[in-house]
Amino acid sequence: MRVLLVEDEAPLRETLAARLKRDGFAVDTAVDGEEGLYLGREVPFDVAIIDLGLPKMSGMELIAELRAAGQRCPILILTARGSWQDKVQGLKQGADDYLVKPFHVEELLARLNALVRRASGWTTPTLECGPIVLDTTAQIVTVNDQPADLTSYEYKVLEYLMLHAGELVSKADLTEHIYQQDFDRDSNVLEVFIGRLRRKLDPENTLKPIETVRGRGYRFAIPRNESSADAPPPAQG
Amino acid sequence: MAARPLSLQTRSLLAAGFALAAFLGLTGIALDAAIYETLSSALRDRLQSYVYAIIATSDVARSRHWLPPEVYPDPRFNQPGGTLFAGVVGPVDTNNGEAKSWRSTSALGAQLPFDAMVSPGEARFVGPVDGAGGKIYMLSQGVSWIVPHRDPVNLTIHVAEDARLLDAQRDVFRRTLWTYLGGLGVVLLALLLFTLRWSLRPLRRVADDLARVERGERERLAGAYPSELAGFASNLNDFIDSEREHLQRYRNTLSDLAHSLKTPLAVIRSELESGSEGEKLRWSVLEQAGRMDQIVAYQLSRAATSGHTTFAAPIRIGLHAEEVVASLEKVYASRNILCEFEIDEHARFYGEQGDLLEILGNLLENAFKWAQHRVLLSAHALPHVGLRRAGLMLIVEDDGPGIQAEKVEHLLQRGARGDERVQGHGIGLAIVQELLKAYRGTLEVSRSEALGGAAFTLRLGAG
Repeated sequence: MRVLLVEDEAPLRETLAARLKRDGFAVDTAVDGEEGLYLGREVPFDVAIIDLGLPKMSGMELIAELRAAGQRCPILILTARGSWQDKVQGLKQGADDYLVKPFHVEELLARLNALVRRASGWTTPTLECGPIVLDTTAQIVTVNDQPADLTSYEYKVLEYLMLHAGELVSKADLTEHIYQQDFDRDSNVLEVFIGRLRRKLDPENTLKPIETVRGRGYRFAIPRNESSADAPPPAQG
Repeated sequence: MAARPLSLQTRSLLAAGFALAAFLGLTGIALDAAIYETLSSALRDRLQSYVYAIIATSDVARSRHWLPPEVYPDPRFNQPGGTLFAGVVGPVDTNNGEAKSWRSTSALGAQLPFDAMVSPGEARFVGPVDGAGGKIYMLSQGVSWIVPHRDPVNLTIHVAEDARLLDAQRDVFRRTLWTYLGGLGVVLLALLLFTLRWSLRPLRRVADDLARVERGERERLAGAYPSELAGFASNLNDFIDSEREHLQRYRNTLSDLAHSLKTPLAVIRSELESGSEGEKLRWSVLEQAGRMDQIVAYQLSRAATSGHTTFAAPIRIGLHAEEVVASLEKVYASRNILCEFEIDEHARFYGEQGDLLEILGNLLENAFKWAQHRVLLSAHALPHVGLRRAGLMLIVEDDGPGIQAEKVEHLLQRGARGDERVQGHGIGLAIVQELLKAYRGTLEVSRSEALGGAAFTLRLGAG
């Protein structure tokens, strides 16, 4: 998942970016509203984290500008004041969720995952396609109830493909959404990951979950299961 | 700095002074003109009567010459250099022979315009004109004297009086008139000043009382004020009270904040001093940091509460409720919760918009967290008493598990304390309670009859 993080406070920005990277996000950071707007216009993000109190251009303006520029990724706002006036205003401008500072990083990660899932049409935290089940909260993948042993990058590739199950995902898309900007895009690492994923998920080669569309990219071929009736309520607190 | 505007008293006095001056001045001028008319018409009548007297006491001889009277109708005609003059133009018989004109003794040697002829039957009154070394009023009467068996004799009789006599009368009248009018003006202004000071006295008293409140000699505006000022004074009192409460709340918040932060700080310090390290220290500091965060968030929202209702404009509930619900539906999209409204058209919130959003936001967010499928927000206007504003009742219900009756009190107390980490209906409820305190409202927690879950009923008092 590629995330845009716009936060002017250096210590928070750096620790958050480090934590997000550790969790497998590709992170682009901006220190003010203008830089955030520039990145937001150029890069296809999966989700954005925007602080409301930014120099040069306020978070509110940034959100409005991004939405006006056609950026459709879900946006989570961070606010120190936490008044409902701010929250309502921010969500009206086009944000999708908010978090009041200070917050637990786990809470932020859970919210980000939920936002990304929601944006691609999944309502539950577990993505189920046939016998393959991916639990986004625990980051565990099972095939026919047997856990599959995936590395962090393999997990990320599978998560992205399953989020967009049924859709064609180009190699460029996959690379952009999973790797940092400085990643060498010409390497065939991606193909290696896909190959390993196929072997781990489908050692017998009967499910054929990942389809190669020659010259264009990949498609997760197993359709989504009917989502389970009602999601359990999130932890109260 | 702009010049200080004139005081109310000065304004009223100036306005009344101008009006009075204009009124008295015009009255004076009108009376003066009227008296001049009267005086000059009386003079004309008098001169006319002299003319008739002269005609009555004179005669025309057979030679068709006029014979002057032997006795004048007024002795002043006889005084040389006097103030009353007579003259006749026409054929006149004098003791020494005949002449073309005649003059009374008083007119001899005086410069008088006694030469003109006036046609018979006509009387011409003029004045003041030059004559007798000054100004005179003159009546000229044309006469056609009938002589038996002969043609009538045409004569013109002039009678004139020195203008100083009329002027002197007029001066006396003018002096009296203006003295009285001036006196009247002064008396009226004094009266006005007195009534003005008397009617403005309550305003001065309010200002004095306010100054006393400012100096801290008094708590609020006391004393009875006239009905026009009573509302103003009571609003001012409300304002003073609310300012004072505000200040008190800031002070309390600050002291609560300082005190409640001391406990987690003490825990951290003792952990450090007792030499704990590693994971244990980390968790302890994390826990205390979380606690401090709660404390700061709670006290911050408490201090930001406005609670000003006296001069607040009414806010409609519907639009703001929709905004909050739209936000919550976005955030809790995965929960698929249906929020219904039952909002009375006349329901109004008297206060800060931010406070209303805070109340709605916190209550509705709790409802969204606990609800299974449905949330219901109702707003009703409470009937108002007399001139006071209508109150407001807000009810937020959900179809969640609800709150057991025996836990309600605990929940509200916990909210009111607010300085410990609470689960579920946590800091949000504490903020709502704090806001309600500022707006003098009440909160009741019960079971929802419509949906079966929890029901939070808020009542914001009238006024």
